[in-house]
Formats: sequence, C-alpha cells, structure tokens
Amino acid sequence: MSAPPTDAAAPEGGLRALWASPTARVGLGLLGAVALLALAGPLLLAHGPRELVAAPLAAPSAGLPLGANAVGQDLAAQLAAGARTSLAVALLAGAGTVALGGTIGLAAGWFGGTVEAATMRVVDLALVVPRLPLLVLVGAYLGPSAPLIAATIALVFWPGTARIVRAQTRSLRTRAHVRASRGFGAGARHVMRRHLLPELALVLAAALVAAASRAVLLEAGLAFLGLGDPTGASWGRTLRDAIEFSGLFYTPAWQWWLLPPTLAISALLIGLTLTGVGLEGRSNPRTSRHRPGATP
Amino acid sequence: MSLASAPVLDLAGLTVTYPGPPPVRAVDDLDLRLAPGRCLGVLGESGSGKTSLAKALLGLLPEARVEGRLRLAGRDLAGLDEAGWQAVRWRRLALVPQSTASLHPALSIGAQIAEPLRVHEGLARGEASARAAAALEDVGLGAAALERTPEELSGGQRRLALLAMALVLDPEVVVLDEPTAGLDLLSRARVLALLGRIRAAGTALLLITHDLDALRGLADDVAVLYRGWLAERGPAARVLDDPRAPFTWGLANAVPTLGDVKDLRGIRGAPPEPGEVVQGCPFLERCTQAVAACEQRRPPLVAPEGEDGARLVACVRGGRVPVLRARGLAKAYRPRRGGRRRGEVAAVDDVSLEVGEGEAVGLVGPTGAGKSTLGQLLVRLVEPDAGSVELEGRDLLAARGADLAALRRRAQLLFQDPYEALSPRLSVAEAVREPLDVAGVGTPAERDAEVAGVLAEVRLPSSPAFAERRAHELSGGQLQRVALARALVLRPKLLVADESVAMLDPSEQTKLLALLRDLQVERGMAMVVVSHDLAVVLRVADRVVVLDEGRIVEEATGAELLAAPQHPLTAELLAAAGRPGALLGERSLARQAR
Amino acid sequence: MAERRRPAVSAALSGLTLAALVVLVFALPRALPGDPLAALDDPASGVAITDPELRERVLAHYGLDQPLPEQFAGYVGGLATGDLGWSIARNAPVSGLVAAHLPWTLLLMGPALLLSTAASYVLGILAAWHRGRTGDRVALVGLTALRAIPEYVLATLLLIAFAVLLPVLPVGGARTPFAEHGSGLAALADVGAHLVLPLATLTLSLTATLFLLQRHTVVGVLGADHMLLAEAKGLPLRRRQFVHAGRSALLPLLTAVGLQVAFAAQGAVFVEAVFAYPGMGSLLLEAVAARDYPVLEGAFLVLALVVLAVNLLVDLAARWVDPRSAAS
Repeated sequence: MSAPPTDAAAPEGGLRALWASPTARVGLGLLGAVALLALAGPLLLAHGPRELVAAPLAAPSAGLPLGANAVGQDLAAQLAAGARTSLAVALLAGAGTVALGGTIGLAAGWFGGTVEAATMRVVDLALVVPRLPLLVLVGAYLGPSAPLIAATIALVFWPGTARIVRAQTRSLRTRAHVRASRGFGAGARHVMRRHLLPELALVLAAALVAAASRAVLLEAGLAFLGLGDPTGASWGRTLRDAIEFSGLFYTPAWQWWLLPPTLAISALLIGLTLTGVGLEGRSNPRTSRHRPGATP
Repeated sequence: MSLASAPVLDLAGLTVTYPGPPPVRAVDDLDLRLAPGRCLGVLGESGSGKTSLAKALLGLLPEARVEGRLRLAGRDLAGLDEAGWQAVRWRRLALVPQSTASLHPALSIGAQIAEPLRVHEGLARGEASARAAAALEDVGLGAAALERTPEELSGGQRRLALLAMALVLDPEVVVLDEPTAGLDLLSRARVLALLGRIRAAGTALLLITHDLDALRGLADDVAVLYRGWLAERGPAARVLDDPRAPFTWGLANAVPTLGDVKDLRGIRGAPPEPGEVVQGCPFLERCTQAVAACEQRRPPLVAPEGEDGARLVACVRGGRVPVLRARGLAKAYRPRRGGRRRGEVAAVDDVSLEVGEGEAVGLVGPTGAGKSTLGQLLVRLVEPDAGSVELEGRDLLAARGADLAALRRRAQLLFQDPYEALSPRLSVAEAVREPLDVAGVGTPAERDAEVAGVLAEVRLPSSPAFAERRAHELSGGQLQRVALARALVLRPKLLVADESVAMLDPSEQTKLLALLRDLQVERGMAMVVVSHDLAVVLRVADRVVVLDEGRIVEEATGAELLAAPQHPLTAELLAAAGRPGALLGERSLARQAR
Repeated sequence: MAERRRPAVSAALSGLTLAALVVLVFALPRALPGDPLAALDDPASGVAITDPELRERVLAHYGLDQPLPEQFAGYVGGLATGDLGWSIARNAPVSGLVAAHLPWTLLLMGPALLLSTAASYVLGILAAWHRGRTGDRVALVGLTALRAIPEYVLATLLLIAFAVLLPVLPVGGARTPFAEHGSGLAALADVGAHLVLPLATLTLSLTATLFLLQRHTVVGVLGADHMLLAEAKGLPLRRRQFVHAGRSALLPLLTAVGLQVAFAAQGAVFVEAVFAYPGMGSLLLEAVAARDYPVLEGAFLVLALVVLAVNLLVDLAARWVDPRSAAS
C-alpha cells in the first residue's frame, strides 16, 4: 500500500500517555484538589461536620468559609468530610470491583470452555438488573453504612469489569507471542505474569477509574436519597438537606449550601473520567485514512 | 503509442506527493494514455504507487498534493472541487478496489449496486433494483444475490459484485486494482472473461495488477511502475515477453506462470519503502548493471535502439545491456589422419548468439553437435575461423596484450571435469588465488581475504585447514565448487558452464545450480549453460539454443520449446530427456558412420 | 460488544433473571439479621403495625406462620395473579400504588431513551466526521463532562437554571396541583411543561454516554474500505455519513442502548427525587423512608420487569437492523 499514514503517531496509552495527555493532566489535577480538600479539612477547620456551631443559614465569614446550613452546621466541614467519604468509598469499591471482576474475567478468558460460558451467563444476568433499585432494596434491609455500601457496590459492579477483562484476555490468549510462549512450555502463571498482566494492567487501571466513578456516583446518590450512613458525612447528604429545605431558593443560601457539593461531586467525577480517558490512549490507525472535514 | 482514437484518459507529468515529514512522492511524473475499448495494464509491486494512482484518478486523495495533467475525455480533472468530482465519479470513471471489504457489510448487495442508480440517475427503488439484478446477471452472479449480504458470498463472488457495481452506470473508464488477487482459478477466469467482454464493448480499462498472465490476456499496453516512476511502457506482448527495463525483466522472472518450467528468480535487494524523492534512477540500488551516470540523472522514457518506438524504456543504459554478442562464429576441424572421416568437419557453423545482463542461455544438442567448441569460442579459449565476439561491448577477438588479459577476466569458463580442471599441485587457496595473482589485483592480504570471501560464497569452508587441501582430497562436488570459486574470484560478467554439473550427484547438482542462480540475481552475471541434459537446462535457462552439427536449429524459451518444438531434433531431445544417452548415442553413431 | 443471541435464548435469560430477582426479593427480608418481618410484629420495635386489620393483611401476605416452601409458593402464586401485597404505610394494595406510579416513570424513561438514541446517532456521526475540529472538541469536552455529572446534580442545576433563576418551568411535580384545565389539550400542555426538565435531565444524561460510544464507533468505521468506495461512488456527503458510516455503528449503539435501559431506570429514580415526580422512583423512596417492605419489594420487581422488557424490545430492534449473527 503506498498511502502512508497521515496522522502523527499518538502515544499508545500507559503511564507515559497519562502524563503526556493534557486531558489526563487536568483530570489528575482535579483529583489532587479533592484529595487535598479531604486531607486538609480536619487540619484547617475548627469544627466537625455535625456540630451545631452557628446560626441557621449563616452567611460565609472568616470562621465559616461556607456558612452554615438550616440547623447551623459548618458547611465547609461537611464538604471536607464528604470528600473523605467519597474518596474512601471510591477507592474501596473501585479496588474491590477490579479485584473481583479482574480475577473472574481473567479466569473466564484464560480457561475458556464451560468456565467461561457459565461466568458470562452470570455476567449477562447481572448487567441487566437495575443497580440502584437493587442497592436501595439491599440498603433498606441491611441498613446503611459506608463500608457496606462500598462492598455492595463492588458486588454489583464486578460483572462489567469481568466482561472487559475477559474479552481482553481472550484476545491476548490467541496473540502470536503468547502462543509462542506457551510453545516454549511456559505455564499459565508465567504467561499471565509476563504477557497478560502488563497488557491487562492498562485495562484494569481504566476499569478501576471507571468503577471508582460509579462508586462515587452511587454513594452520593444513595446519600442523596436519604439512604446513606446517617452518622457520617456525604456530599449527597448535604445536597439532600439543601433540596429538602423548602424555600431554599428564596434565600441566597442556596449559593453556599447547594452549589459547593454540586461542584465538588462534578469535579471529582470529571477528574476521574478525564484520567480514564488519558489511560485509554488515542491511537487508532484506521482513522488515518479519513481526513476530518476534508469533504465540505 | 499510436492510438486509433483520442485518448479517454490522458495523464501527463502526474505527480502525487504526501506531505511529511518527510514528504513522500508516491507517483512521480507519470505519462499515460488510455484509449476507449483498450486496456492499459499497470504492473508494479507494493510501494510502486499503483494504489495512489488509482485513488488520484478518482480524486480520493485530499491529503496529498496532486500535480500534472489529468484529463478525462478532454475534460480537466485536476482542479475539480468536491461537487465537480461527484459529477464525474462512477458515472464516467469507476473503481473496482482490491479489498472485497469495500462492500458495506450491513447493506445487501442489491442495495449497494442500486445505490449509484438511485443517487446519480434518480431511479425509483423498483427500477433501480431491476437494473441491479440485470447487472448481477451480466457478471454471472445471478439475481439471487440481490438480497444477500457480502458475508454470505465467497471472495470471488464479492469481486464479481464489485465489478457489477462499477459497471452499472456504464462508465467510460474502469480502474481495477488487483481484480484477480486471491481468487480461485475458476473465478479468476470468469472475471477475466468478463473484463474482455467489457473492453470489447468499448469501455476503457486501467488494470493494475502483478498477475502477468492476466496482463498477457487482457492488456493491449503495459506500463511498469517502480517506486512511483515509469520504468517501461509499451505493447503488452513486447513488454512482458521481451522486457528491456532491468526491473521489468526481474519482475517477469519472479512471477510464477503456468507452463513455465524455469526456476523463479527474485530481484536483489528489498522492495522500496514509499520513497523520498531520489535524484538518480530509482531502481539504482537493486540494479546489477548500474554505472556512475545512473546516480546523477533520472532517465527519461526513450525507445531502445533498433526498435520502432512503440515501446519506451527509462534506463540510463538504454535497457538491459547485452553482455555477450557473438556473430557468425565458425570453427572447423581437420580430421585426424587415419581417421575414417574425410575433409573438414564444421564443429561450429555460422552461429550467432546474444546473452543479456543476468540472463542464462542454455546450449543443448546431441553429442558432437559442437556445444563445447562453441563454449570455448565464446571466451576465446579457441580462435574462431570466422565471426566476431563482443564482450560488454568490446571486441574480444581484436583485443591484444593487456587489453585482452583484462577482457578475459570478464568471462570465465567452467569445465566439465572437475578432477582435470584443478592442478593437483596447488592447494585450494592457491588455486582460487591464482587468477588474482595473475591479474595483480590488490595486496596479498587483500587477495587472501577475497579468496576466503568467494569460498564462503560457494558455500565451502573458509577455514585454513580446508584451504590447504589438495585436489585429490576433495570430492567431485567440492572440486567443482572450488573451480567455480576460482572462476568467480575475478567477478566475471559471463560464465560459460560446460557440462559443469554432469559429473555431480543429483543433490550436489541441485545445490550448485541454486548457487549459480543466486549469483545471477546478486551480480547480474550472465551464463551460457552447455549441457546435454535438457531437464537441467530447462530449469536454469531463460532461452534455449538447440545445436545440431554446428548449426543452431532452434532457439526459444523453455516454455515454448516444451509446448511446441519446431525442429524434429528438439522433439527427439525432449522425448529422450527421460532416457539420457539412448537415442542420442544412436544418432551420433549414425553420423559418424557417414 | 455483547454477543448476539437467538431471541428465544434472550427471552429465556430474561426470564431467568426475573426468577432470580423474585427469589432474591423473597429471601432478603427473611434471611437478614434482625429479622425485619419479625420487627413488624414486635411492639417494642419502632416499625410494628398497630392496626390489627392491616397487620392481618400484611402478615397474610408474608405467610410467616407457614413453612418456607409454602411461603414461597404463596408468594409466587400471588405474583402470578398480580397480587403484590399490601402497603403498610398507605393501607392499600401495592398493585394499585404501582399502577398509579408506573405510567409517570414510563413517560419519563421511554421518550428519554428514544431521544437520546436519536441524538447520539446523529451527533456521534457528525462529531466523528469532523473530529479534531472545534465543534467536535466542544461536543467531546462538554459531553464528557456531562457524563461525569450525576443525574441528581444535573437535575439540580437545571432546576436552578430554569425554574429558579429563570422561572419559565415548574419546580416539580407532574401536574400543577389543584389545577382545572379547560380542555384536554390544556391538560396535556400542563403535563408536558412539567415533563420538560425531568426529561431533559434524563435525556442529557443518557446521551452523554451514548454519544461518546457512537463517536468512538464511527471513528473506527471511517477508515474502513467501504467508506472509501462510497466516496469513490460519488455519493453525497449526508448519505455517506448517515447511511454508510452510521449503519455500521447502529448495531453497537443499539446494544449499548440495551445496557443503558437499566441506567435509565436508575437515573429516573434520582430525577424523580429532585423534581418530586410521582413515578416508581418516588414510590421506592417513600417506601424506604417508611420501612414499607411490601411496597419496596413490589415496586422493585415491577421496575426490574420493565427494564427486562424494554431490553428485549431493544434486542429485537437490533436484530431487525442487522440480521447477521455476529456483532460488528
């Protein structure tokens, strides 16, 4: 073929691409900001999230950077505490999803046959079930608590990761270099370690980020619906308190009560998404033939 | 090219450059003309620019710079905008792409074929469908294919569907990119027959392919493309059967065709990467006959000397150069006294022979036909009674002294009997070094290095232990290789192998022939292979000369010889090829009795 | 993405899923520590039912005095006849409550799925075609960000923007309460006005995911051989975009839509919460707050059933679009 590729070669994904991609850098920046908030909160702020420290709907001031809510709680403290909750759930649920989904997907893709078929049936079943209502149901019976939510999220979301990992494993299993390795007599463990895991690492990292996003979404969502941990603090909870306060929009309070948690959730989720985009890389050789906008 | 009518496709100086960095010149200054009802074949390997050419003809290269003249039936296509192209595409110029994945996987065949009818001619669905069905019938697929998706068709059927789709608007020109690639023989035959019919109906075809048999059957003219540049252009029969450009010749030798018994040979070096602009001849690196001038300028397309101008070659040296040109050679022997014969016997009688760069000519005939004599005449180991011999353009017979010595080194003879060819006194190394010593080439150390190199080339050990061996310590096969090494050490351009493999075991014989073939490819060395074994000769030779009683009775390619021998002797030789010695012995005895 | 299965197999799998859920719903209250059902009976717990008639009804529904297999049989039998139990909080049959709330959720989910699919199809093709240019970049960044924003946050933002700051649309509910409308058309308009923001939220949320997928798929298709030939055939731009490029991407899109149905249901719950829209989501949330277990179970099952049914429909549509057995 004499037509050469015309797109400049893009980095293939991976840590280098992560740093090189401006999108990912923005994402990581956002994540860093949220982490900072979570860690710096207790150090810089004088009050806890649940203490009654001011007049209801007090406006922001030196001691109260974000003012107070309808019962007089420090909104800044709630924001920081919420950051900790979100990050913790994100990490726990994300790691759990990936560990569970990754292991099962790898096994399914590697062994094939009945193991694969059976696993994939379970995955298909799980994917069709509406998650939130199920979580609501389970939460109603089991009672809300952050670790429980994280665990339930992992149990609900592993199928998605398993599917991706299985597809990737299957494709890798038939690649020439893997088959060659097996031709040398390499055992499954060696092949997995040398060939599969490095390639899968990328997929798993992307899956981790995706799972973490969903976990954050759900945790805040459940809190928003009133199903979160009543003793803890969550952005969703703050949001819910704000929305449920009738007449919120007749006072200027919505600006420092409703907006900050809204923006914080968005920031965390956008950060995770952009990081995920950066991890997936940009190369797609097939598109080089088509020039965007070449035809008017 | 003389044309009966005005060309429907007229390309002049067509150049396609992809922006870099670095910029890539995929098509370089192409001049082509295609007349209605004719087929122009474009022959080239990957990287030759043929796909860029096809795309440029349809304006499908927005990312490249296309320069030069591009005219369709007199109308200029070069400056067209998108709307202009949409008016031309498919209605006047259609493309049959190489990849059968060009059929949309999710739409039915009928829908895809009807699509141009509906879009360009505004036909209603029913009528377009009927026309599509007719098109499918024309190509031999049948209307049942209307509802099928491409997945349900075989590769050959998909190719036919693409053809039907290209023809549906009855365009003036159809560009085909490798239409026979990947097809089984029956599908291929069907496609080629169809193309023949279309051409006869007046459509012009631009056939881009490296299927030589297809070109022979279908193309009126052939243009040979190398790295975007035209190496040769002319009537198909001439270009394909008597190629003059070194690249064309190399390609023709590399492509297997049914009926050919000759072993395949490649072209040395590697196919080019889509190239940066080069200054001299693009084929320089792979050409075995390159000279200094080839680096400096790009050769223009000119007609070779002595031809009528229908065929043009772009070569600084005017095409493949003749290495050897012998005319009217004659040699007679007086009979020995006391022998039964009276008068003179003409061993060689008015023989003319030409051997080109990298070519192998086989010399066959019964015992006593004069083959060996002729071989020795060609390198002037025996003085002819009459005639001339030109070696690389210089008169061998007129040369004297130092000139003659220098000229002799350009041609070597390899004898039949390896045991006799080497002196029993000399070691291997000494024997192989002798020509270098005589020629006074290089320092002693350099000569030793050269000897080691050439021993490796003929696949003999170059260890000191082996180099010290004497003739009687070696086997027949090894001896012949040493003799070959000795012949090669001066890098001759012509090798006359006189029954050189006759005394070897079959396995050694095969390996030696393979070695010779490699040398042909790597060095462009010409060979004259003298043998009574027709089977061997047919494998090795580009042309075969049949000698009888000192005269050439037939000269043809191996394939032609096998298919239709003209002379009775040739027929006899062929018949006896499985039983060497039987008939031949009878004949020569009969002759001796006269 | 998903493997195509024969319709019978798909239906069978859906049935299997439903069965599994039924079992789950049956088992949960009975299997948990701190038996919630016992709590209904125990005066000391906070959720005991005092009204004796109500108590009878609810306990009969659960059949706690019977052995487990008979409980299950009774439960499944009840489901088959449409008896979803009795609501503790409202003292009314669950099926009636579901019947009243379900249409609103369907009104939200249905159009949202259709609109988001159509919008993603078109926008995805256009963005892929002009990728790298301003329009594409804006769409990419915007919709990626949108995808990151949870439905309730988006709903809140839209609420603030269009119901508070620019008070053009109602703040919540499905209809203006206590309003009398002159004609059917006026009543329809009222419902429509209340539907705008919730529908917009859900549609935007679904489009974000689908658009990104569609764009990615089409970008992959653009370099295909058949696109080059389509251009060679002199076909007009729109045809190449929406028939040749789009068609190849339609199947993965529909497959993704199938997966999105569950997310649409989930999103509907949040949207209904923010806008106080009286659909299944609101029903679920009220039931949770009131510890109204029968309603909780019934509503969940119906919602799951709806999702499975819509999924099957999408599956059939995908099959009609592309009868080949393998997905692209």
